[in-house]
Amino acid sequence: MEEKKYEVVIKIFVLQIAAIVMILPFVWLISTALKNPSEVFTENLTLLPETFRWANFVEIMDQAPFWLYMGNTIIVCVGILIIQLLLVIPAAYAFARLDFPGKDVIFLLFVIQIMLPLESIIIPNYLITKKLGLLNTRTGLILPFVASGFGTFMLRQTFKQIPQSLEDAALMDGAGHLRFIWHVLIPLSRPTIVTFSMISIATHWNDYFWPLIITDSDEVRTLTIGLGMFVQQESGSDWSLLMAATLFVCAPIIAFFLVTQKTFIKNFLTSGIKG
Amino acid sequence: MHISSWKKPLRENKPLFNRGLSFWGGALSGREPMREKLEQFRSYLFLIPGLFFLMLFTYLPILWSSWLSFNRWNLLSPKPKFAGWENFVELWHHDVFWLVMKNKFFFVTISIFPTMFLALVFAILIDERLKGRVYYIYSLFYPTLIPMAAAAMLWVYIYSPNLGILNILLAELGITKLGWLGSSETSLWALIIMTFWKNLGFFMLIYLAGLQNVDRELYEAAYIDGAGWWRRHIKITFPLVGPTSLFVLVTAIILTFRVFDQIHLMTEGGPGNSSNVVVYYIFENGFKFFDWGRATSLTTILVCILLTLTLIIFGIFGKRITYTAD
Repeated sequence: MEEKKYEVVIKIFVLQIAAIVMILPFVWLISTALKNPSEVFTENLTLLPETFRWANFVEIMDQAPFWLYMGNTIIVCVGILIIQLLLVIPAAYAFARLDFPGKDVIFLLFVIQIMLPLESIIIPNYLITKKLGLLNTRTGLILPFVASGFGTFMLRQTFKQIPQSLEDAALMDGAGHLRFIWHVLIPLSRPTIVTFSMISIATHWNDYFWPLIITDSDEVRTLTIGLGMFVQQESGSDWSLLMAATLFVCAPIIAFFLVTQKTFIKNFLTSGIKG
Repeated sequence: MHISSWKKPLRENKPLFNRGLSFWGGALSGREPMREKLEQFRSYLFLIPGLFFLMLFTYLPILWSSWLSFNRWNLLSPKPKFAGWENFVELWHHDVFWLVMKNKFFFVTISIFPTMFLALVFAILIDERLKGRVYYIYSLFYPTLIPMAAAAMLWVYIYSPNLGILNILLAELGITKLGWLGSSETSLWALIIMTFWKNLGFFMLIYLAGLQNVDRELYEAAYIDGAGWWRRHIKITFPLVGPTSLFVLVTAIILTFRVFDQIHLMTEGGPGNSSNVVVYYIFENGFKFFDWGRATSLTTILVCILLTLTLIIFGIFGKRITYTAD
């Protein structure tokens, strides 16, 4: 099948326009973050700062403990991910390869949770977390997210595709459930597990609503909340500092995905996320 | 979905236990009923940890808040007191509630379908390009990775009436500047545009994954039959990505129903509730007006809407999504 010349030109043109429109806000973010505060207050559109002012980043660190926020964010994201994997893998295994009464009903409970994000039941969750005495703690930031219907669903689909013959072989060698999961299922499902992990990290790096309502001291605040607080403090006066803080909040997650882009794109395109 | 299957006699669909794969190794491979019971008990062991947290932070909260929604619980009556349907009746007669529902409906329909359509078109275009693939994917996908809070700040700046890039560009083109977030006519649109920018790449990536399953020979055949680019995709791609579209639709519904961050940071629902939507309205009632009774009845309404949508989606397409990979 040959593409006609003019077709190729039109397609690339459309894609380039889309790419530029999508990237433009970010370019503007970076350039504003490096501008001199006085340079921002003109109505002339300049994409490159006159001088690169790295001191903006030093200034935001003086005004709010952004490194502490980042530490908290990392702890919370990694904590959520580890517990999620510990819960999701056995559950997905049971749904994919074992049989027991009530299996479909329990599976349905997991699937329905996908449709009920924490944001929609935030009030009762707040009340429960309060009852458990977990307000304003990192544990309180982690626990509500650890049961993942999405992850269970995704891994179950992958586990189901592992051929029965491998299970039989493992059985012949005298392996039990746990050794079969550890030595056969997990290595063979790596692309899905990696994809799920990356989605989980990206999602929870971005969490805002939950930390907003349950944290009230810097010791446990995450980056997104730190940014929100910083904005209120600054009350929208100094755009170059605000954009520097904004850049600081999103740079790590973007850098992480750029570094791992090969793995991520390949895994995402071939793993469980298909209808 | 065949929920009923678990009622069947267990032995029928239980090949695995009889083959004797057990929790601790091959030692327990008997066929006696006792052993089978033990095996079943062990399957539950795999589920209990996950199920515990699922119950604690999803189903228990839902039950509790359904109970609370029939209680009066606000600053005037600091202890929950049973009040029947009062909260719901009040909401029914409350203008803001209907405005919020209208906004939500508007937000969901206007943001989901155009985003899905364009996401599919871009996925097809990118799928056909081998050169620069990663560049195109990332230039569309990166907004998904940016925390909504950061994206909201960036867009507050972009929408800023005098210094924002949008109004500067509009002025260059000789069009009158818009109030964006500050005007009740444009605030909801401003949020929709920003949400579009944020979600497009994610949906595109899911579609791109779905397209990897489409048999390329179908395009060859259509091409030989003289079908043009647009026709080929209308006739082949669009129907074949049906299951993927369903997945995207579900994801999109979840993402748009939980919308909160950008509203809290960009408009606080205003001006005059013009951009207030359900989750933000719940937050306002709970954490600003401390009317927990009303906040929980809103939660109950939202959960009912979400469950109804789930029932509709799974009822119509359930078999296909859940069991395609079986």
